[in-house]
Amino acid sequence: MARSEGIQELAFDSPVKWRELFRANGRTNIRACLLVLTGILMLVNLYMIFMVAPTDADLGHVQRIFYFHVPLAIVSFAAFLVVFVASVAYAVRRDARWDNLAHSAAEVGVVFITLALITGMIWAKPVWNAWWLWTPRLTTTLILWLIYVAYLMIRSYAPNPSKAAVYGAVIGIIGFADVLVVYFSVQWWPGIHPTPVVGPLADAGSLDGTMRNVLLFSMLTFLALLAYLIMERMALKDTEDKIRDLRITMRRARQDGLPGD
Amino acid sequence: MPLIIALQINLPSSNLPWLFAAFAVSWAVFFLYVIYVTRRQQEMQNQIRQLHRVLEQQEGREAD
Repeated sequence: MARSEGIQELAFDSPVKWRELFRANGRTNIRACLLVLTGILMLVNLYMIFMVAPTDADLGHVQRIFYFHVPLAIVSFAAFLVVFVASVAYAVRRDARWDNLAHSAAEVGVVFITLALITGMIWAKPVWNAWWLWTPRLTTTLILWLIYVAYLMIRSYAPNPSKAAVYGAVIGIIGFADVLVVYFSVQWWPGIHPTPVVGPLADAGSLDGTMRNVLLFSMLTFLALLAYLIMERMALKDTEDKIRDLRITMRRARQDGLPGD
Repeated sequence: MPLIIALQINLPSSNLPWLFAAFAVSWAVFFLYVIYVTRRQQEMQNQIRQLHRVLEQQEGREAD
């Protein structure tokens, strides 16, 4: 069925047709469900950030950037953890599905860490009166960004997909070390950047209870978004691989058909 | 008077334009990324359909 015909058949007053949006090939369409769930969580998250979280006494409303900036950074670490695990699994099993997962998670992780850096700069300008300071936390985070941008570039310049997967696995495993350096940097080299407010390094009572709950909810929301984006990117990579296989099949068919072969 | 400026006057320590900028940039980047992935997926699906057609034509010619 053509795509336009499918869209025309979707009647807004028909719940049965709307239910079909969440099913693909007779099975539940997890990506569609996750997209709707993420959308709902995002709306609730925005309500909590602006209506539930108290205003910071010192920084005022600009402190609410915290509920985007911190989850973006932590969820990017989660994405790079996925890259690390999938790269190890690919190195051991040489299964292309692990490489697909690692590549997709790296790309989405770069989007998240880029946004963490940008929102951090926007927060720094009114608070520190500077867009950027070469503090250990910021510098190691910039190095992390460069490592995973390099990961994507090296993959795209690799001569063939199997070499791209091997190069990617090597960088995915080694590059994860910088995630640990970023996380522990504020403890190893204390400076102007605030110390962690959640996780094993956080001091007890360093964050107001309501603020902590809003922050944790925000992290959950961004984790759902991460899962959705990784699945969407993996589906795209599957389609790219299908096209590559079809082109190879066509080339072989053409070579077989040549006279004298 | 724009709403943001009006709110800022009422709340002097708010720095609302910075808050707006951070949220707007984050949302814009996420939307652009999702649009990029979705569009590329559609292009790829079209390419697959075209390649299938060419392959079927090739197979048909070989069968003749």
